[in-house]
Amino acid sequence: MNPDLPMITIRNLKLDARTEHGPAHILRGIDLEFGRGRIVGVVGESGSGKSTLVSCLLRLLPSNIERLEGEILFDGIDLLKLSPSDMNDWRGRKIAMVFQDPMTALNPLFTINTHLRDVLKRRFPQISAREARERSLAMLTKVGISDASVRLDAYPHQLSGGMRQRIVIAMALLVEPDLLLADEPTTALDATVEAQIVDLFDQLRQDFSGSIVFISHHLGLVAELCDDLCVMYGGTIVETGPVAEVLARPRHPYTRALLDCEIEDDHGGRLATIPGEVPSATWAMDACIFASRCAHVADICRRGPTVLETVAIGHKAACKRSREVLP
Amino acid sequence: MNAGRTPILAIDSVSVAFGDKVRALDDVSLNIARGEIVGLVGESGSGKSTLCRTLMGLGEATSGTVRIDGEPLADRLDRDRLGFRREVQMLLQDAVASLSPRMRVRRLVEEPLHVHRLPLAAGRARILTLLKRLGLPESSLEKFPHQLSGGQARRVAILRALVLQPEVIVADEPTAGLDVSVQGELLNLMMDLHAEFRLTYLIVSHNLNVIRRITTRSVVMYLGQIVEEAPTAALFRAPAHPYTAALLSTNPVVDPGKRRVRIVLRGEIPSPIHVPSGCRFHTRCPHAQARCRQEMPDLRALGDGRKVRCHFPLAETAGLA
Amino acid sequence: MTAFAATRATIARILSGPGGIVGTIIIVLVVGSAIFAPLVVTHDPDALDILNRFSGPSAAHWLGTDNLGRDLYSRLVYGARVAMMVALFAIGSALVVGTLLGMLAASLNARGERLLLIVFDIISSFPSLVLALAVVAVFGPSTALVTAIVAVTLMPHFGRVARAQMLTLRHAPFVEAERLIGASPVRIALSHILPNIAGPLVVLASIDIPVVITIEAGLSFIGLGVRPPLASWGTLIYDGYAYLSDSRVPVIVASAALAIATLGFTLFGEALRDAVDPRLDREGR
Repeated sequence: MNPDLPMITIRNLKLDARTEHGPAHILRGIDLEFGRGRIVGVVGESGSGKSTLVSCLLRLLPSNIERLEGEILFDGIDLLKLSPSDMNDWRGRKIAMVFQDPMTALNPLFTINTHLRDVLKRRFPQISAREARERSLAMLTKVGISDASVRLDAYPHQLSGGMRQRIVIAMALLVEPDLLLADEPTTALDATVEAQIVDLFDQLRQDFSGSIVFISHHLGLVAELCDDLCVMYGGTIVETGPVAEVLARPRHPYTRALLDCEIEDDHGGRLATIPGEVPSATWAMDACIFASRCAHVADICRRGPTVLETVAIGHKAACKRSREVLP
Repeated sequence: MNAGRTPILAIDSVSVAFGDKVRALDDVSLNIARGEIVGLVGESGSGKSTLCRTLMGLGEATSGTVRIDGEPLADRLDRDRLGFRREVQMLLQDAVASLSPRMRVRRLVEEPLHVHRLPLAAGRARILTLLKRLGLPESSLEKFPHQLSGGQARRVAILRALVLQPEVIVADEPTAGLDVSVQGELLNLMMDLHAEFRLTYLIVSHNLNVIRRITTRSVVMYLGQIVEEAPTAALFRAPAHPYTAALLSTNPVVDPGKRRVRIVLRGEIPSPIHVPSGCRFHTRCPHAQARCRQEMPDLRALGDGRKVRCHFPLAETAGLA
Repeated sequence: MTAFAATRATIARILSGPGGIVGTIIIVLVVGSAIFAPLVVTHDPDALDILNRFSGPSAAHWLGTDNLGRDLYSRLVYGARVAMMVALFAIGSALVVGTLLGMLAASLNARGERLLLIVFDIISSFPSLVLALAVVAVFGPSTALVTAIVAVTLMPHFGRVARAQMLTLRHAPFVEAERLIGASPVRIALSHILPNIAGPLVVLASIDIPVVITIEAGLSFIGLGVRPPLASWGTLIYDGYAYLSDSRVPVIVASAALAIATLGFTLFGEALRDAVDPRLDREGR
């Protein structure tokens, strides 16, 4: 594998779903690439398509898909062209997933040990029961579970929410994946427990060679944890680049508006909002996706859709007036 | 009632126990003056929901009294249940689920009029005014709850409460599940209504940014007890309880200049069935000492309107008190 | 989606499988002939024609005649009428009374609730046949009595489901919200909880229709139900049995009518259950 090539390259990914009102454009042409050892934060409001993007990477898609085009290259191999059985193999080997609710990944009838062993057996069919247990113990300790040997024989309901999420993360890491997908992994947790899990992700990056895609609606969380940021809106990526750079110098009015909505001070006065609504998914997008809500909208914005353009090194934004309005 | 003097809501040493073992609320006292905006912060199991339920008369206190305008809640409910419901309204966390699913919005917002036998014509006129005021299109009256967006459902829930012209609104996680772009709109609206109708708010939220921005006084709860109470600005500037400090430090912020050193607590909030001895927070407290394990601290006043339940409050040790 | 659209979607889903289609066709035929019995019959069902007894199927008598020469087809149609009337009134009253009692049970304190549940248990542990024998011994057989007996034995069925449904909804946020605006328990139960538990109960009722049809036929067959000369599928089979050596046709057509109607309502009931139960949605998999 060429280390200079990005690990994941998504090109012009489009996904339409069938609805009563005609095709809904859930993803409207996603272009994204990232290398190894990165934590990529994907932020967006409801309806931005961020969860669907993850489903595409896993190729776990709902049945009402009308059209799926473009390519998702993983080390040069197009995931969308893999046979279902090959894709299944990739899911247990190279890609792992952590969901918002840990109980969706845990079967209440099996002990933690069974869960971890099954994952290991699938990934390393030759592994002995003893080695599996040893690796599981080591992994539980690594994800911050004390009394690992006791917890190994526990059932999911005997553990707290934070511990369950740690178990799910342990299951994902045991696979030694190249790509770890985390969809709002801390949203269901309490603040102090969320801090622990964020801390865990932060520590994991030390000896995790793969990349993490971290989906969140919480800009602050992404700002603290991630290397790269990808801002989604209405099924498109409107801005992407290194986190610090994008947040310090946003080049898309939507990113700017999102940042303004964050309230991190106790100044009085009115809170910022983004008036209007996300365009309907059935809209054909013959203009900039954000035109209907943008404070800087001009005629040029309504003439055809915008594309991502490089605005600084590694920093892209999909705004025709970026240089004018956000210098 | 001598307005201004008597707190509109007074919670006096309220405890709530479920069975012999679970103490969901332990000796909670809190006064809320007319027109105040009080924030209530705590994680799951802290007792904030139980406190709201008790306050709303949905659950009974095992000991202690809730007073409304100085009158014990139980008496008020016996004497004038509907009057109490008109005076104190609550917004539930899940706004969509809090609207009866098979009713159109029109019926939902008119229902308070029927329940309270208020004059229909005047009430309907009021609904139309409020509809405009809340930025809801008139067409939304014909919709069913599941056809509303999260923000609209919340407005409908607010409208239902405002139809009764309440004086106090208890809001449970008013922004939970809302996108940030809508969150600001809702909070602006709540602040406008506060100014317009001189409402008193008790706002329960885990979103510290929201609490900081809109409340004047904040209460932090842990495992059924109030651990700190202070004017919001003071609380955020210099938390006195180690738990408050940890909670504030974990609040992720975008601006690197505003980040605090993150204090990551060990473990999780213990089960209310096995409450730790002494100070309830000592099992997770980075500053716990021998005394904390044995002796439960009282909620004591520290000056500047602050109260803290800790033997070794941070502000004091830092010489700020 | 409006309520109207929801109903249309449900109907579309019922008709999406072969079972639902067959069931619906049978039901339309059975219910249609029950309602329009006087219009679809070819003869007076009670008109005797002793000379023509046990005549096989012919152009004049489509299904032949019985031991007294009455037109079997016309008697079958009127039998459908009896079956539908009994089913409608028995299930209707069981549904209404059971639902109200079930909701009452869920709202009472622990002792009251247990008392009602014991009543449900006693009724359902009592075989309907024995109950029927006892009641008929006192009052004598009649259609009204069959209906009442069936209603009483089915009532706990609805009572238990209504209670369970209400218990799950009792702490639903919208119920809590109604309490918070001051709505009374009766108002909450009738205008907020009832509309939300009605669906499963109606499905249950539709699944009970074939049961009621067979109970009515069974009771009439052993002489505890509908009294001759009124035509019921049960009495038709009974009369046919007595003269089995003379002709098999009456027993066969009456049993076939009973079997087909039962099958139709069962298929429809199952299709309806699947149509309104999102958990059985096969499309999501």
